[in-house]
Amino acid sequence: MNELFDIFRLFGFQFFQNALIGGTIAALACAWVGLFLILRKEAMIGDGIAHTAFGGIALGLFLGVNPILTALAVSILAVLGISYMRRKGMAQSDSAIAVMLAVGFSTGLIIISLAGGFNVELFSFLFGSILTIDQTDLIIVSILGISTILILGIFYKELLSITFDEDDARLIGVPVKPLSLAFNLLVAITIVLSIKVIGVILVVALLVLPGLSALQLNLSFKKTTLVAICFGVLSMITGILLSAVFDVATSGVIVFTAAAIFLFTATYRRLE
Amino acid sequence: MEKKQAVLEVTDLSVERSNSLVIENASFTIHKGDYVGIVGPNGGGKTTLLLALLNSIPKTKGTIRLFGQDIETFSNWEKVAYVPQHAVNFDPHFPLAVRELVSLGRVNQNNIGKPLKKTDWEAVDDSLDFMGISNIANKRIGQLSGGQKQRVFVAKALVRKPEIILLDEPVVGVDAETQEKFYKKLSDLNIQKDITIMLVTHDLTAVFCRMSKVLCMNRWVNVAEITKDMQPNEVLRKAYGEHFHFVFHKHECKRVFDDE
Repeated sequence: MNELFDIFRLFGFQFFQNALIGGTIAALACAWVGLFLILRKEAMIGDGIAHTAFGGIALGLFLGVNPILTALAVSILAVLGISYMRRKGMAQSDSAIAVMLAVGFSTGLIIISLAGGFNVELFSFLFGSILTIDQTDLIIVSILGISTILILGIFYKELLSITFDEDDARLIGVPVKPLSLAFNLLVAITIVLSIKVIGVILVVALLVLPGLSALQLNLSFKKTTLVAICFGVLSMITGILLSAVFDVATSGVIVFTAAAIFLFTATYRRLE
Repeated sequence: MEKKQAVLEVTDLSVERSNSLVIENASFTIHKGDYVGIVGPNGGGKTTLLLALLNSIPKTKGTIRLFGQDIETFSNWEKVAYVPQHAVNFDPHFPLAVRELVSLGRVNQNNIGKPLKKTDWEAVDDSLDFMGISNIANKRIGQLSGGQKQRVFVAKALVRKPEIILLDEPVVGVDAETQEKFYKKLSDLNIQKDITIMLVTHDLTAVFCRMSKVLCMNRWVNVAEITKDMQPNEVLRKAYGEHFHFVFHKHECKRVFDDE
């Protein structure tokens, strides 16, 4: 009972409110973008970009700039680099991602060694530190997250058309190239806004697990999207609350909750 | 007899793919309301022809005019619908309901970034209704049978209210009865909605029983009117070779297509 009362009291604190709001926006954007990534069979681009973003974070800390902004710049460069390599036939999607991942991460390592280590702060970006989201972070996360959600909403039918059959989309006059590029930029933005929430290493879970769980239920596209978003937000809020109760790493509990939902839906599908 | 409007005029068309000539000096005209069966041996250039007509691949020489306009400058692509061969080979786990898939046919250059309107959804429901698949509107596309998939993709083409539909081997892999029903449905489309249809197929009986023209090709193209007393073998032999013999009896049409 005492613990429940303590949680209730937590809602009164600014840092906890920030965590809930920032976490919800990140979960929502991740689940939606992630569903498209899964259906495009590009889920690993999420992991690749996240690791590349680590280089951007190190750069930001080194230069004394807000690391989210430098991470954003580096991630966008990585996305453009991956599409360039693919387009020019220099590498297939998975190899291009591997190259960017390695280059981005090692950039981070070199900067850390040059700076003589940033220790705690860098650690918080690797594994997330949702409870340290301040007002500035929250504003950045909100602007990026809401823009992402709006763009996904506006171009919903075009993105669906491209994801289902790119050739057909091109034929009926959908601007496939600019929209694919815009989508890739949204992937970069979504990952960067989630770094503070869940960390570089685990952001891929927030992208993939909600969509994958929703796909188990054999619903229409609209319902799959809505259910994926609900699963993402549910994992986030449950994760934050449970981690507060048991006093364990928040990002770990968020991923565990999302994985539990996946296990549940996958089992349900097989029993059905 | 009233002269029908030319929907498609091809003059001296040659198309190369991977450095080999796939279509050579093709010239033909298709008129409004024609129901054209495109036949010829495998590798004869049938799919290439459709793609060239859609301006999806570059042509080496010649001109193609759609509705009187050169396809290089043609902009009324909503008048043209295309059902590719691979359409039915989608990922069966893709989360899409039949109605949602058909609604994608309403996406076009003029409504980018805007939600579909009520009239769009009405067109979707009309199209489902016409193809006789309203009962599966909410079914996931991965759960459909082969025959249902064909109808769904034709419904998706139809929902654009096209004046011409190009179909690439839409009946591969379904049983004979389903095929016949499908051809019947296309005849309805052709007659009731006055839509010009061009269909790549290997089903020669269907072509000579149902369609108004046969486009025979094997790098070259020859279009012949299908009449009561034509000799199919004369048309087909040039494409399939001298040893080809197509046994065709007019009464087969009666047996195959019970509506006639």
